Amino acid sequence: MNLPNLVLADFLPLLPAIIMVAGASILLLSEVFLSATSSRAYQAVLTVVTAVAAGAVAVALMFEPPQEVLLGFGVLDPFSSFLTLVVCVGLGLAALSAVSFLRKRGAERGEFYALMLFASAGMSLLAMSNELITVFVNVEVLSIATYALTAYLRRGTRPSEAGFKYFILGAFSSAVLLYGAALLYGATGTTQLTAMVGPLGAAMQSQPGLVYTGVVLVGAGFAFKVAAVPFHMWTPDVYEGAPTPVTALMSAGVKAAAFASMVRVFITVGKGIDPQMLLALFSTLAFLTMVAGNLLAIPQRNVKRMLAYSSIAHAGYLLVGVAALFVTAPGESFRLLGASALTGGTALDVARAEALRGILYYLLAYTFSAVGAFAMVSALERREDEEKGTAWDLERFSGLAQRRPGWAFAMAAFMLSLGGIPPTIGFMSKLLIFQAAVDAGLIGLTIVGVLSSAAGVYYYLRVVVYMFMRPVPEGAQVLERSWSTELALVLSTAAVVVLGIIPGPVMGWLVQASTIFGQ
Amino acid sequence: MVPITYYLLLAAALFCMGMFGVLVRRNALVVFMCVELMLNAANLTFLAFARMRGDSIGHVSAFFVIAVAAAEAAIGLAIVIAVFRSRGSVLVEDIRTMKH
Repeated sequence: MNLPNLVLADFLPLLPAIIMVAGASILLLSEVFLSATSSRAYQAVLTVVTAVAAGAVAVALMFEPPQEVLLGFGVLDPFSSFLTLVVCVGLGLAALSAVSFLRKRGAERGEFYALMLFASAGMSLLAMSNELITVFVNVEVLSIATYALTAYLRRGTRPSEAGFKYFILGAFSSAVLLYGAALLYGATGTTQLTAMVGPLGAAMQSQPGLVYTGVVLVGAGFAFKVAAVPFHMWTPDVYEGAPTPVTALMSAGVKAAAFASMVRVFITVGKGIDPQMLLALFSTLAFLTMVAGNLLAIPQRNVKRMLAYSSIAHAGYLLVGVAALFVTAPGESFRLLGASALTGGTALDVARAEALRGILYYLLAYTFSAVGAFAMVSALERREDEEKGTAWDLERFSGLAQRRPGWAFAMAAFMLSLGGIPPTIGFMSKLLIFQAAVDAGLIGLTIVGVLSSAAGVYYYLRVVVYMFMRPVPEGAQVLERSWSTELALVLSTAAVVVLGIIPGPVMGWLVQASTIFGQ
Repeated sequence: MVPITYYLLLAAALFCMGMFGVLVRRNALVVFMCVELMLNAANLTFLAFARMRGDSIGHVSAFFVIAVAAAEAAIGLAIVIAVFRSRGSVLVEDIRTMKH
């Protein structure tokens, strides 16, 4: 067997992940030299600096042409680089909101931030993975770090319960994904996605059962990871029980990376098998996820749990974009709406590029809005109420506008953005994704999406009503300020509002980033 | 030589047993073992196909899966211990504080 001849430059495309792993190692090693009472303020700063550095490298890599890296086990394309940027944004904001959260609980330790960095490195690599075993290993790299983070406050009953549920269902879904990958390997004789396209078409003729089972199992594995209905049961409990900054990282990073990998795997699979089947699969998932996510969120008075259900609903909107990737003949309306937006390529290519752009922008928008909202939730919660489960009640938000107008404004911006109301980034991203769906001819799905997101506005605005129109409850807790949480709030509010009004610069990147390898 | 189909059927049976076990067993440790069973079913499938095709990717994959399963076992057992310490029980129905 001939060994590959790799040089240092071959590892350059992995630089964002390498930076994050290096930062994590520094955090772990430095922890050894600290006494229990030493100041640990530098740890969050180091994490944020690492996230910024990795994000900057990702932006630089976005302008590289799409290429295979490390013998085709991974690819570097603008799509994966943009995803790494989204992950770094989520990581930086979540780390900022973790500072006061951990200090209040006396749980400041280096391994918390190190685990966050390891998880983010896994996410970045997952977005680049172009081979089924690499996909599996990176799914596990990010999942194992996230299991540990979920159960990080292990003395409490809720975090250990959330960690347990997340672990069992996460490991279960990974095993389903792996078995599906094994069947696809059996059908095609390769695990590399790029090499799989040809044999997949041939295998469809000789053993369709094997291929279909493999595709469905891989799809189910991913559906668990992105929390699509009916594979969503773990989400509310895990999101509620996990430490709030970890929930923020899960809702942003883990979901984004899983979506990226799902898109990459199924675009390849869709070339080998009938895309109609994938269209049916993803349309059904999108429909169920949007409707169920929104309906289940409506009765929630627990804001953290409401955000968990809303994250399910948002996965549904993203799945509409994924479904639009597998349309074989764009709809009639295409010529009316979308043809002027982009030039070059066939109508189908344009529709696909639009769908990819919508998915990426949506992930960025959701990262800013959701991480900001979770940062706000963590600023308001008190440790004593956690075991009773009242730490996240809507009452906590009563009269917030009178006590901390800045916080209330930030939270209102996040809620409007999640609800998709202009002028926020959430509105822009929903517009892009639904426009892509309409251009692809998925009119029915778009109507369901718009209606269910209108239903979603109800529970988002309820938070705003509590903040601005309810009186301050008697004996309300003292609201402690902390520079790091407020910095996270300011940054995400600024992004939510500014990118909602002038999406220009990011839009330019997005046209670039919708280039996916092999398209 | 045993035909490849037998290995594949055995793997499928193991996978289904594991899946069934995760859904119905009450003890967290047994649930955890069932997940491991599913991973090993996937391993067996990889190996059977690798043997059938006579290439090495399937064999290599199995090693990766074993390594990942070991890491997963470490974190999984740690979480089960944390659950036991906070509740004194590892029965799945006792791990249910959060309302639905």
